Amino acid sequence: MLRLQAVSKSFPGVQALDNVSFDVAPGEIHALVGENGAGKSTLMKILCGVHTDYGGEILLDGERLHLSGPRDAQQHGIAIIHQELNLIPELTIAENIYLGREPRTSLGTLSTKVMQRNAARLLARLDLPVAPSRQVSSLRIGEQQLVEVAKALSLDARTLILDEPTSALSKTEIDRLFAVIASLKQGGVTMIYISHKFDEIFALADRITVLRDGHHIATVDARETTESEIIRLMVGRELADLFPKDTGSLGKDVMRVEHLDLRPSATSQKRSLHDVSFTLREGEILGVAGLMGSGRTELLEAIYGVYPPHQRSGSISVNGRRHSATSPQRSIANGLAFVTEDRKSQSLIPRLSVGQNLTLSALKRVCRLGFPVPRRERAAIDSSVTSLRIKTPGTGVEVEKLSGGNQQKVVLGKCLLTQPSILLLDEPTRGIDVGAKAEIYTLMGKLVRQGTAIVMASSELPELLAMCDRILVLHEGRQAAILDHRDANQVNIMAAATGRANGHDPSADGDRPHA
Amino acid sequence: MGTIHQPMGIDRMPDAMIDTSSTPRRVSGPNWRFVLRFQSYFVLLALLVVAALLSPERNGQNVFLASRNLLNIIRFASENGIIAIGMTLVILTGGIDLSVGAVLALCAVGSAASMMRYDFDLPMTILFVLAIGTTAGLINGVITTRLRLQSFITTLAMLSVARGIASLWSDGYAIPIAYGDGPDLAPPRYRDLFAGHIDVFGLEIPVQVIYFLGIAVIVALVLARTRFGRHVYAVGGNETAARLSGVNVSTVKIAVFAITGFLVGIAALLHSALVSQGSHIDGNGYELNAIAAVVIGGTSLAGGVGTIAGTVIGALILQILDNILGLRNVQSEYQAILKGVIIVVAVVLQRQRR
Repeated sequence: MLRLQAVSKSFPGVQALDNVSFDVAPGEIHALVGENGAGKSTLMKILCGVHTDYGGEILLDGERLHLSGPRDAQQHGIAIIHQELNLIPELTIAENIYLGREPRTSLGTLSTKVMQRNAARLLARLDLPVAPSRQVSSLRIGEQQLVEVAKALSLDARTLILDEPTSALSKTEIDRLFAVIASLKQGGVTMIYISHKFDEIFALADRITVLRDGHHIATVDARETTESEIIRLMVGRELADLFPKDTGSLGKDVMRVEHLDLRPSATSQKRSLHDVSFTLREGEILGVAGLMGSGRTELLEAIYGVYPPHQRSGSISVNGRRHSATSPQRSIANGLAFVTEDRKSQSLIPRLSVGQNLTLSALKRVCRLGFPVPRRERAAIDSSVTSLRIKTPGTGVEVEKLSGGNQQKVVLGKCLLTQPSILLLDEPTRGIDVGAKAEIYTLMGKLVRQGTAIVMASSELPELLAMCDRILVLHEGRQAAILDHRDANQVNIMAAATGRANGHDPSADGDRPHA
Repeated sequence: MGTIHQPMGIDRMPDAMIDTSSTPRRVSGPNWRFVLRFQSYFVLLALLVVAALLSPERNGQNVFLASRNLLNIIRFASENGIIAIGMTLVILTGGIDLSVGAVLALCAVGSAASMMRYDFDLPMTILFVLAIGTTAGLINGVITTRLRLQSFITTLAMLSVARGIASLWSDGYAIPIAYGDGPDLAPPRYRDLFAGHIDVFGLEIPVQVIYFLGIAVIVALVLARTRFGRHVYAVGGNETAARLSGVNVSTVKIAVFAITGFLVGIAALLHSALVSQGSHIDGNGYELNAIAAVVIGGTSLAGGVGTIAGTVIGALILQILDNILGLRNVQSEYQAILKGVIIVVAVVLQRQRR
């Protein structure tokens, strides 16, 4: 039994947790939900020994627990799987799993053999078909996440905290993880499961605790509640509908992609694309679906000009003119903007301020005679913060201090300040809470009504099905289908994504494009 | 047991620290934040006080605090300071320039040779020297970006090449600069321009001080008020994000190296005018002094964080240290040791700031 009693924690300027009390029964899967900034991460950091100064008490099996650090937490059988990856890319899978507690031989040297063997066993348990001697940097994000899971498993934890473990996983990998979770539960492991995905929460959790603004709002039995009830508790208001329904009408063609091929250099971990062709119309949202490694990201990157010209063939035209796609700069000038998959490593300059991040792509627009005019820049920043409802203590605050959802809004704001006619979105709602998600959907709806065209790559089919006019499905870098939203459903998308165009039994897929 | 959770401790805290609740409860922040934020200023201030207390007196006058001495400190800090300003730009983008000392030697030899051997007139000499420095910087930048090398390697190579050329050019000897009118003599205005004084309200201000502070102000303005400046921080803060945001990363990197080369050229003009010669062994170890000034001034070697004001202060701190220890007749070996300690302490203090 894990019991929290009146746990409080404040940071300079913020009361992150305020008198939070609830308990987690042994062997229970306890879901913890709340918008970003509700205090979930702070609570988890207390539980795994990162924050050691807090008010209140934590009792583990009736004993008062005061952790001196992460190592101490591990010794108490508490392990955590983080939402974001904590792996060392240059090391192998096995070395990462056993980092800091490497098995040794009798001579005291590293026992690579034991390490590899044990790691292989863990990977087999997760059904991850890769060699433990592979370098982590050569794995896709989803695979890396599973390595994190393997790492936590190797600790033989009795209390396991899962912080959005599926945010980067494909359906197949999620199923695999759920099977592991089920077997851990049978083994008596207590789990705290943090997620924004309600289907997962309702599939797994016994009870659900809701936090909001650092307060404990409720702990409810999962069988006696509903998704909308939980959402209401989280946001403190009813969300009429997550997705805006009216997306306006389609206009003229704004982008035409013809026979796009991509042959990334052999050393990169990028996938190739073969013969992708589509047109995009004003006010349209085109979804890009596909399994992990199917080339979703690469398609957007190729259009945005991330790859050198010799790796690419085919033609792209934007607003009737040839788009050479040779550099992001050129693309921005041609009216494109790109929201990347990983905002932390690809979109934000963490130590620059919220304001400086917002205007980074559009500095020219606030310049006079080549110099940024502070007053104009100020106005652009303020209007972005207001219209996107970015919650920040100030625009001079370093952007890394914002919550995930607000960081994502900064990324969107940066793109929108360039006044793009085509917006490329790669996993635009990954790892952000339901409130911010709804706001981003609403924003997308507003943009397309104004005539912006959007290409949205996503691993979340419900999101694609709800938002998109058409869905382009990729299978191993090839265009498997383009489905109209009236015809598209999870079944035929998965069928196309797994290369079974006739659509039989896609749920049984175990396909990994690069296994 | 593993160290799995440790890396996140520091990195992730900010996520939770400032939260999205619309009315965060204010908790009074410690006044330390202010001190830490401007810590290099406080270090400078503390050092000034300590130096004044330790200073010997002559005729009842504090030697250290004499305006002449204070001006001399800035004057002798200026060569390193000017180079360090360029170095700051390079380091802000996440690079490093190890070639500054060697390029200074090449430029100094160039200045002596052009006046004493080639009979260049004053403007021609200045242009020539600045062109040498800028070209060396451009080459550093172009090789680093086009061949995708780490700047550590490119500039290490440039260090070697520049010294080699300087030595060949000067035949392995220092080229003395003799002033006067006529062939094979340097125009005396060279000395006035780069090693003279300007009379301001009865105060003899060494020209080096003007160059140093002038350049500092200009570069600080460029960093704070131009797109280029913003891009410098962006490239150092997250190169991938900068590129995807439409920043021309290569251009920015080439530019900071070229600017550094240009500033090294100016430093070389000051140097050769001061010592009246140009030698291939000039500027030995200058790269380390410049890096020290930058680091003491609070610029992160990882890039993306730092200021010119910090670097100016860093350069002054180093020079004050030299000065007061010199006044106290402390052996230079101890000065070197103390400098090492100061660097470590400064960087540790920087980290506290976050």
